[in-house]
Amino acid sequence: MRTTRIIVSAALVVAMAAAATTETAAQEADEAQVVRVEVNPSQLTLQVGEKGRITATAYDADGSVVDVPFLFFSRDGRGRLAVDRNTGEMEAFKGGEYTVRARALVPSRVGGTATVTVPYPPLDRVEISAAGGRFYSGVMVRHTAYAVDQAEDVRDLAVTWVTSDESVATVDRFGVFHAHAPGEVTLSATVEGVVGRIAYQVIDNPVTAIAVAAGQARGRTGDVVHFTATPSAADGSPVDDIPVTFGLIADPDAIATGDFPPAEVDSRGRFVAYKPGVYTVTASVPGHTAHATVEILPRHVVEEVSLVGHAPVRNVPTSDLWVWEGVDGRDYAITGTHRAHGSTYWWDVTDPANPVLTDSLVVDARTTNDVKVSEDGGVCVISREGASNRRNGIVILDCTDPRNIEIISAYDDELTGGVHNLFIHDGHVYAVNNGVRFDVINIEDPANPHRVGRFELDTPGHAIHDIWIVDGIAYTSNWGDGVAVIDVGGGGRGGSPENPVLITRFRDIGGATHAAFPYKSPTGRFYIFMGDEIGAPPFDGQEIGRTPEFMAGYIHIVDFTDPENPEEVARYEIPEAGSHNMWIEDDRLYAAFYQGGLRVVDISGELKGNLYHQGREIAVYKAYDPDGVVANAPFTWGPQMHKGNLFFSEYFSGMWAVKLEPRRALIP
Amino acid sequence: MQPAITAALLAGLPAHAAAQSYWAYVAAESEDEVALLRYDAGGDLTVEKTITTGWLVAEIEAPHGLAMDPVGEYWYLTLGHGFPNGRLVKYETGSDTVVGVADLGLFPATIAVPPHGTVALTVNANFHGDHVPSTVTIVDLETMFPVAEVVTCTMPHGSRFNADGTRHYSACMMDNQLVEIDGATLEVARRLDLVANEPARAPIEGHMAMAPPDGHCSPTWTTPHPDGRRVFVPCNRGDVILEVDLERWRVTRRIEAPGAPYNLDLTPDGTRLLATLKGSAQVGIWDVETGRLLHLVDSLLRVTHGVVATPDGRYAIVTVEGVGGDPGIVEVIEIESGTRVASANVGKQAGGIALWKMEG
Repeated sequence: MRTTRIIVSAALVVAMAAAATTETAAQEADEAQVVRVEVNPSQLTLQVGEKGRITATAYDADGSVVDVPFLFFSRDGRGRLAVDRNTGEMEAFKGGEYTVRARALVPSRVGGTATVTVPYPPLDRVEISAAGGRFYSGVMVRHTAYAVDQAEDVRDLAVTWVTSDESVATVDRFGVFHAHAPGEVTLSATVEGVVGRIAYQVIDNPVTAIAVAAGQARGRTGDVVHFTATPSAADGSPVDDIPVTFGLIADPDAIATGDFPPAEVDSRGRFVAYKPGVYTVTASVPGHTAHATVEILPRHVVEEVSLVGHAPVRNVPTSDLWVWEGVDGRDYAITGTHRAHGSTYWWDVTDPANPVLTDSLVVDARTTNDVKVSEDGGVCVISREGASNRRNGIVILDCTDPRNIEIISAYDDELTGGVHNLFIHDGHVYAVNNGVRFDVINIEDPANPHRVGRFELDTPGHAIHDIWIVDGIAYTSNWGDGVAVIDVGGGGRGGSPENPVLITRFRDIGGATHAAFPYKSPTGRFYIFMGDEIGAPPFDGQEIGRTPEFMAGYIHIVDFTDPENPEEVARYEIPEAGSHNMWIEDDRLYAAFYQGGLRVVDISGELKGNLYHQGREIAVYKAYDPDGVVANAPFTWGPQMHKGNLFFSEYFSGMWAVKLEPRRALIP
Repeated sequence: MQPAITAALLAGLPAHAAAQSYWAYVAAESEDEVALLRYDAGGDLTVEKTITTGWLVAEIEAPHGLAMDPVGEYWYLTLGHGFPNGRLVKYETGSDTVVGVADLGLFPATIAVPPHGTVALTVNANFHGDHVPSTVTIVDLETMFPVAEVVTCTMPHGSRFNADGTRHYSACMMDNQLVEIDGATLEVARRLDLVANEPARAPIEGHMAMAPPDGHCSPTWTTPHPDGRRVFVPCNRGDVILEVDLERWRVTRRIEAPGAPYNLDLTPDGTRLLATLKGSAQVGIWDVETGRLLHLVDSLLRVTHGVVATPDGRYAIVTVEGVGGDPGIVEVIEIESGTRVASANVGKQAGGIALWKMEG
C-alpha cells in the first residue's frame, strides 16, 4: 500500500472527499485483512474423465473466516485439466500433476494452491515408427516407439526393445534394429506392459557389390554434389531397396580447432563442402563399401562494391522502396517512411549517382511502410498506418509524372487496421490487412477502387505480414504459419483475384516468417526464400534515437519443386544480424540484414546447408551516414536491383545505390 | 527548500499547491514508447523518462492502454499489434522493466485493474477486424496467466471497475451496449442497449454487427461514479454523455457534449465530469450535479484522447494524439478554472494514460 498511502495522505489534506471515494475499496479490503487462504482439499486425485472440486477459505489475522471471492485456475493444467474459475470445479482430461490456484480477490494478493494428481490412465497402445516387412540381413535401422494412453496422450516413458529371435535380429535400447540372419522375427517395444509389435522377414542380403559415383569430380564450396550409390546382386541387377549409409572422410585445405564441419553429406547422398579440400564419400551396405572422391575448390565469387549515389532522408526513418522505369522512359524510385509524419518521396534515379527528389507527399499517417508501382508505371499505391482517424487503408496515386504526384483516390473500407504491406498485380492491389488477411482491391479504374476478394488462413491464431505475387501466384508470409502459396489466377487451381485458392503452406523451422521471395532457378528447381524477423526488447538504458538497433533471424531456403513435398534444404544465416526484405535476380540474392547491412549472395546451382559458410557471399555493404537519424548505424531495410544498379533503403539514412564490379580475370 | 516549492513561491502561488507532484505514464501508440511525466503544481510538466516498448523495432506494436497497480508497484500496458494478437505487459515501477507478459486477443485496448489489484480485465477491442463479438480477457496479475476470455460484444472498449471493484463496465462501440461484469464471478451480469434504453441480449457469436449509423451512440468509454449508483458513457457519434442509473439499469440523463466525446474521468469527489472531445480537439468539464458545461478547453493539437483527474481533483491530465508527424502532447488543465497550465511533448499518437502517484 505504499504508493496508495501517499495518495491517500495527500488527498486528506487537499480533498478529503476525493480520498474517501477512490480509496473506499482499498480501505474495505484492508479491513478484511485476509492473511491466509486455505484450499480444501490441498491434495486431490482425479481419474481421467472424473470431476471434482476444491474450495477456498480466507482467514484474517485472528483466524476468522473472511468472505471474499476467489478465482480458480491452473496454468500447467491448460488443455489437460478444466477448472471452473468461479466454483473450483474441475474435470480431468489427461494425466499429470497440476497446481490449481485459488486467488483471493483482495488487496493482500494472497492465494492458496491445491495439487491435483490425475493418474495417467493405462496405456492404450504402443506404436512403432515402421510397418515391418522385408528386411535384409546385416542392415541396421533405428526405430522409435510411441506410447499412447487411453486419453490419447503420447507419453514419454522408458521403452524396452526386444526381438523374438536374437539369432535373426537384435535391437539395442535406442531401438536400433540389426538383422543378422534370414528368418521371421518380431520387433517388440514394451512400455509398462503394453507391447507394440512389427514383424520382419529377414532375408539374405543379395548385395555382392556396391558402386558409388560422384555427380562431378570437381566442384566449388557450396556446390551440391550428388553421390549415387548402386548396390547390386550377383547377377549384376541393382538392389534398390536396401538402405545405403553415406559417410564422409574430409581432408580440408585448412581447418581450425573447434571450426564448423568442413562438409556434410546427407542420407540421400547430397554433399556440400564449406571449405576447399578433398573429400571422400563412402557408401555402405552390410559387408560392402564403396567410395568416391571429389575435389572442392574455393568458390571465388567476391566482388567489389562501389557507392553510386545516396538519396538522403535524415529526419525520419525510411521504410520500403520501389524503383521503376517511368512512362517517360526515365527511372524513378519511391521511398516510404516509418514512425514519421506520413511522408513519401519520389526520386529521379536516371542518373543513380545523382538522385533528384522530384516530389513528396504527406498523407494522414505516421507510417507509409510499403510503396508499390503498377506494372505500367503509371499508378503508385502507398500503405497507411497511424492515420489520425484510425482508418488507414491505401492511397492510390497518379505517378505518370513523378514531378507532379496526384492523389487519385483513397481506399480504407475494412482496411482500418493499417495496411502494412501490399502488392500490385494485374490491376489489383493485394493489401495485407490488420495482420490477419489480405484484401484484393480492383484498381483497373484507380478512381474507383473496390474490393473483389479476400483471403485468410483458417489456422488457429493465424497471422499475415507480407505478400509477393509472381505470375498469378501469391506468396504470403505468415509468421508462425510460414509461407502460404495461393492461386490468384496463375496457379491452375481455379483461383482468381475474386477467389484466391490455397495451393499449399509450409512452416519453416522457427516459425517467424516475415518475408518470402519465390525463385525459379535455372537448375529447374523452384525455391522459396523465407526470411525471419526476430527481435528482442530494447536494452535498458538505451537512449532512443541515438542507439543503433539490433535484430535477429535468418533466411530459410525451401525447395518447392514438388509443391506437395516442400523441403527446407538450406539457409543463409549470419551471426551478427537478422534478415529483413530481399530481392532475387539472375542467381543472386540481395538481402537486407538490418545492422548486418546489404548482403549479396551467389545462389547459383542447387542449394544446401548454410550459404554463409560456403564462400557464396559476393558482397557486403554497410551504409554509414554520419548525419543519419542515428549516425553511422546501418539498418538495411530493403533492396531492389534495377538496370544494373542495386538500390536499397536504409532505415536511418534514406535510399542508396551501389554497383557491383565484375570480377576481373586473373592474369597469370 | 524543495525546488518545486521555490518555483511556486516565485510564481506567487500558495506553497501548499506547489508541494504537489503528479506522476503519470503516457503511451505513444505510433512511437512504441511510454513516457513517464511529472507535473509539479504551478510548475512544469516534465518528461522524466521514455521507455521503449515492444519486441520488434521494425514493427509498430502500438502501446495503447495503461493501468496502474493499486499499490503502485507495477504498471500495465497493452500492445495492440502482435502476431496477430496483442499482449498485456507488466512493468515494475521505478525500474520500468518488464516483469511479465500475457497473451491477449485482437487489438487489446483499455485495461481495468480493480482495487484489490489481483486481476486485470482487458478489452480485446479488435478495432480493425470483422465486426463480430469479441472478448474481455481476465489475467491473473501475479502469474500473468490469461485465466479466461469472457465474450462481451463487438469492439469492446472503455474497461473500468467501480470504486469497490464489485462491478466492471465496458462499452460496445458497434453494438451500442453497456456491459456489466460481476467483480466476484467475473461473468457478464447484464447488458444495456444504450440506444433503445432497455436491457439487451448478447450479440450472437460469429455474426457480424452493423456499424452504428450516424446519430447513434457508438459508446467508447465507461466511468462509474464514486457513489456507486451510476455510470457515465460517452456516445462518440451522438455528441452526448449518458448517465446510466445502475439500480434502474436505464439511461436517466443525457449530457450534451458536442465534439465526439471519447474518454471520460470523474474527479474523485464525483463533482466534475471530464471528457476528451476527439472531434473538436477540446476537453470538456461539466458539473455532475447540474449537467452544466463549465469549461471547454482547446487543446494544442487535434485528436484529444485520454484524460485522468488527479487524486486531489485539482487537475485533468490529458493526452492529445496529434496528426501525422505531430508529437503527442500531454496537457495539464486546472479543473476549477478550466485553464491549461502546462504541457509537454511526447511520442507520436499519445493515447493511454495512467496516473502513478501524487507526492507532496
